[in-house]
Amino acid sequence: MKFTPKLPDHDVNVSRTHPLAELFWLLGGLVLMAGIVFTALGFATDLAVTKTPLRVENWLGKQALKRFPASPNPPLQRHLNSLLTTLPADSPLHAYTFQVFLSENNDVNAIALPGGNIVVYSGLLRQVESENELAMVLYHELGHFAHRDHLRGLGRGLGLTVASALLFGRDSAASEVVSKTLLSFQVNYSQSQESAADSFGLEMLTRHYGHAGGSTDFFSRLATTDKGKLPYLLASHPHPENRIEELNELIDRNGYIIGITLPLAQDLRLHAP
Amino acid sequence: MDIILQYPDLFIFLFLVCLGYGAGTWVEKRHYASIKAREEQFLNLPVVTGSKGFFDRPIEKSVLVSGNVVVSIDYFKRLLAILRNIFGGPVKSYESLVDRARREAILRMKDTASQLGADIIVNLRLETAAIGQNANRKRQIGSVEVIAYGTALIYRDT
Repeated sequence: MKFTPKLPDHDVNVSRTHPLAELFWLLGGLVLMAGIVFTALGFATDLAVTKTPLRVENWLGKQALKRFPASPNPPLQRHLNSLLTTLPADSPLHAYTFQVFLSENNDVNAIALPGGNIVVYSGLLRQVESENELAMVLYHELGHFAHRDHLRGLGRGLGLTVASALLFGRDSAASEVVSKTLLSFQVNYSQSQESAADSFGLEMLTRHYGHAGGSTDFFSRLATTDKGKLPYLLASHPHPENRIEELNELIDRNGYIIGITLPLAQDLRLHAP
Repeated sequence: MDIILQYPDLFIFLFLVCLGYGAGTWVEKRHYASIKAREEQFLNLPVVTGSKGFFDRPIEKSVLVSGNVVVSIDYFKRLLAILRNIFGGPVKSYESLVDRARREAILRMKDTASQLGADIIVNLRLETAAIGQNANRKRQIGSVEVIAYGTALIYRDT
């Protein structure tokens, strides 16, 4: 037998898939998987929030409060306590002990933290002009508690952070980005959650003061204020114009009357820095 | 610009992945071209893994010849391999790496043998090693080493 040297036509040891095509498929699969996990977490959270014991929620609230440089504010607390007296007897909110904190921050915002803690930014308090207006904001946050929105957003962010830590390692840049953007207690509620909280707020406001005066004041001020100053609130909440429209529609439908608003108590006034 | 400063790690990683893809593809193309050219060149120097029955002619000299090479992976290949770790399946991005290393090692061995005027290389053996035991650890770049060795035979002129 004679040996005839010959090179093979092609190399079977190297796959011919283009590397970019492989990257596309693998990344696509990963994104799909993350999407499925995120959706599943959403459903799991929705299921879990209705069953979370108050004890767990209070613990979560304590952890969340550590991240805020906020201090209790007696005048705000008194205002909130008087608002709480109007809640219907069968309201689920009676299970909570509500505490309100004031945080030195120029953002115009208020946050509902787990465990019945409400953080009001001083930027918001500076803008508010009447007692009714402030009551509307606080009732809005109470609405988030009533619908347990504060736990919903938290659960999803928490779950995603855990998933990314498992996939990419706890201190990789990827998990840091994910946790910074998602494990934020300043969760962005969906538009429907905001609308539900708004209508809860309106109902309670009317119950407390006997009229719906001041319910839209805050939003109309937001709508006219320079948008550049309020990037956070405008980004996470529906456009104020839409909220005013919705509130006015509700006022018409329920036949609420618009009365005269009460001026803000002296001890709640903040002077612009 | 702010986002780059905020997450420098992420952007360094993305930059390295792009660099890995660009430079890695270019280097690999050149290497394959060179491998193919040299395989043509050394086509008439047979290499066999057997050790018996290939030398019916009297042998003038036998010499140990070897060739070895170390090839490194790049960030892009590593990213593909990491993604493969999640889904499973053939790690295609490493295939060309191992293939290049093996062929290059044999070519270097053939090169040495042809300089000695060898007629055939028998008893070819291939061995491989991962350089850096923690090649798979985080932020570590691994390399593969292949060493090819065999016995070069020079027949006596008759």
